[in-house]
Amino acid sequence: MPRYIVERTFDSGLHIPVDEAGAATCLGVVDGNAEEGVTWIHSYVTSDKTKTFCVYDAPDPEAVRRTASRNALPVDRISEVRVLDPYFYS
Amino acid sequence: MLNAVLDAVTAGHGGVLVLLGGEAGGGKTALVREFCRHHAPVLWGACDPLFTPRPLGPFTDIAHDTGGALRELIAAGAKPHQVAVEVGRQAKGIMVLEDLHWADEATLDVLSLLGRRIGSLPMLVIATYRDDELHRTHPLRRLLGEVRGTRLAAGPLSVDAVAGLARPFGRDPHELHRATAGNPFFVTEVLAARGDDIPATVRDAVLARAARLDAEATTVVEAVSVAVPQCELDLLDALVDGAAAQDGLERALAAGIVEVAPGGKIRFRHELARRTIEESLSPHRRVALHRRALRAIPAGDATRLAHHAEAAGDAEAVQRFAPRAAEQAAAIGSHREAAAHYARALRFGAGLPPETRADLLERQSQECYLTDQTDESITALELAIKVWQEAGDRRAEAAAVSQLTRRLWCAARTEEATRRGDEAVRILEGLPPGRELALAYSNLSQLFLNDERRPETVAWARRAIDLAETLDDNAVIVHALNNIGTIELLNGDRQGLAKLERSRAMSERPGFEEHIGRVFIHVGWAMTRTRAYDLAPWLDRGIELCDELGLEGWRLYVQAYRARFHLDQGRWDAAADDAAFVLRSAESVPLLRILALTTIGTIRARRGDPDQWAPIEEARTLLDGQSELQYRAPVALAHAEALWLAGRNDAVDEATRDVLAQAEDRQAAPLVREVRALRRLAGIERTEPTRIPGPYDEALALLDTTNEADLRGALDELQKLGARPAVAIATRRLRERGVRKLPRGPRPHTAGNPGQLTRREGEVLTLVRQGDSNAEIAARLFLSERTVHHHVSAILRKLGVSSRTQAVTEASRRGIAT
Repeated sequence: MPRYIVERTFDSGLHIPVDEAGAATCLGVVDGNAEEGVTWIHSYVTSDKTKTFCVYDAPDPEAVRRTASRNALPVDRISEVRVLDPYFYS
Repeated sequence: MLNAVLDAVTAGHGGVLVLLGGEAGGGKTALVREFCRHHAPVLWGACDPLFTPRPLGPFTDIAHDTGGALRELIAAGAKPHQVAVEVGRQAKGIMVLEDLHWADEATLDVLSLLGRRIGSLPMLVIATYRDDELHRTHPLRRLLGEVRGTRLAAGPLSVDAVAGLARPFGRDPHELHRATAGNPFFVTEVLAARGDDIPATVRDAVLARAARLDAEATTVVEAVSVAVPQCELDLLDALVDGAAAQDGLERALAAGIVEVAPGGKIRFRHELARRTIEESLSPHRRVALHRRALRAIPAGDATRLAHHAEAAGDAEAVQRFAPRAAEQAAAIGSHREAAAHYARALRFGAGLPPETRADLLERQSQECYLTDQTDESITALELAIKVWQEAGDRRAEAAAVSQLTRRLWCAARTEEATRRGDEAVRILEGLPPGRELALAYSNLSQLFLNDERRPETVAWARRAIDLAETLDDNAVIVHALNNIGTIELLNGDRQGLAKLERSRAMSERPGFEEHIGRVFIHVGWAMTRTRAYDLAPWLDRGIELCDELGLEGWRLYVQAYRARFHLDQGRWDAAADDAAFVLRSAESVPLLRILALTTIGTIRARRGDPDQWAPIEEARTLLDGQSELQYRAPVALAHAEALWLAGRNDAVDEATRDVLAQAEDRQAAPLVREVRALRRLAGIERTEPTRIPGPYDEALALLDTTNEADLRGALDELQKLGARPAVAIATRRLRERGVRKLPRGPRPHTAGNPGQLTRREGEVLTLVRQGDSNAEIAARLFLSERTVHHHVSAILRKLGVSSRTQAVTEASRRGIAT
């Protein structure tokens, strides 16, 4: 399955509390994605919390967008990526 | 889980459809039966493992129990939509539909219709299916993709669960778990067999258990094994002699191998066990039992009789019952089953007279054609042609050849279709004129229509109508009228619509379903070509009607055109959903895949999403020498636009040149406009722009302007659409004009909606307006209450209000239609 990086902008910052409510929010997103065959691997968040780079496994870009719209998440750009590991590069 | 769902349904939160998947013997049925034991009354219907399933099988079971209007409807051969409406009217409590992997088409149609409005029915529908038996194009897959339901999976048993069951028998749970992979049915069979070793397969376990029965009980179990779906007591008496039936049945029931189903019929505890026992019968014994069943079952039950006739190897009985079963299936839209019944009749058709054999082949071909099995349809019709040829019936042969042209066209064998169309007319013109010739004229007209040659289309259709009128043949008139109407509408001539309407009105009778589907496909083709958006209601209606009539292939065409319509209107999510559905479902028609692939490729290119080239390249491969514009235009447009957006302007000329010339030759003005617009954007030509309606196209048309305000307007619209590459182009052009400060624009996914609400928030707002609570909304939209809470908060924030009531008022004030 292709891997994608999804860039998102949150103008007022992304605030997910580090408690049960935050965990529930994240897992809710994970459950919703499963229906589309989309797996959220993890995300990188800028220190001002306005931009995220989310790594996904998904069947195609439309599936990524469908889950984004279901979870009310913005999408700036979707790029298909492959891993380059500097320590195993031969 | 099921209990919680049922509580919500009973509390009036609207109905729920639960889809329960699992492997064979995985415990789906046991789970549902256990649940239902505590919640009577339950309506129960099962699909059955007949070679070809009974049309509307599960609903026939249910109607048998409910009686009344539903029973009358089904007995009268009602269509799926009528059945769905009646089931909805009687909706109450729990309805179970078992083993959907065996379902006939009509049953799936009913379920699909129920699924769409389940939220408004006070009913819990539980549907079970074996997920390991669904191949890629199984019709149930389509339903699963389309219906919103709660999915449950009956997974294998854990080691602990197996240990719980194995303890009283002194079995090693780990060994048992490994051998059975936790399959609940396998586990219980192994335990019930009480042998020393664990049998290698579930089959061995079943046989070991059956081997412990005495002779009389064995006789009964064997008899029940041939009676599909279940064995009535009358039938059992006919299959087993005398008193043995009663004593044997008692002991077989006591041993737990068979059980009494609702309605007093006898069935196996599991289909795996039934099949194992039936397969273990000696050929003589099996045939003898099926022969007895054939004599005992009442004559009206053609589907079951055809099954037993085949199993008994009774060719004469197959000939008697299979065609009748096929007609019954076709009459209610189960065309796949009808095709299978004709195939069965033909397998036993060695001794038939040629005209009967050819007739069966033609019918089989037609049923395959209706269900998107084009290759099978062509094979059957070619065989029929050969039979007519050998029988020396020139008229019938030519009529079949003429019909073949439509199938060949679907398979993208266009040149062959034209050649054979000419051949059919030539043969028939040499014979006294009749309806075959009229139809051959009209089929020829259709081939010219597909190539968008207006004068020839109209001329051949007129000849067809003139001849058909002297013969009073409506089928030909309906077909020819459609051809003329379509070519007119494609040229933007609105008179065509009236002709299509008339053709449709004349088609509202049994046997004319295909012509109804054809009207909707052609409106879809013409409306997307000419951007006649006011015809959009035809698309939704067409999809609905094709579903009701069981016209699978036709529905997919209409949906492919709807995908294009959504794309042109800037609704890219909806367009992608429709196109993806078509791609999942289209089996054998290249044009369908081309339409859907080019839509997907264009969406990706416009959004700047990755992988836009793969679908466009696949579509180009599928073109494979096709000369018709309806094939070539979508591919050329998608390809050229992706090239332009990728900055490869120099390649746009070659991608569009031939199609432009052909479009001009056919006087396809709307298409010429679209191709020229792209060429202008790529800087290949400098013709005067003409307006192409649609938000994206209108914005692109402004890119060439020197007016800064227009350019800003275009940028704004493209930002709202989320058209990243076009935004970059617009920004560059503004910068070239010295504009420095540019707005970043709204986030695209909330664009296009005046309150900046997402699609989902819009849905939630509709329900808020109706006064629904969060819990009610959650149940309706299959969301968690927490998610609904988030949506409501977002709506309040975006509208700048603090209560639900204010939100409703504010939304109306801003004119947000929900």
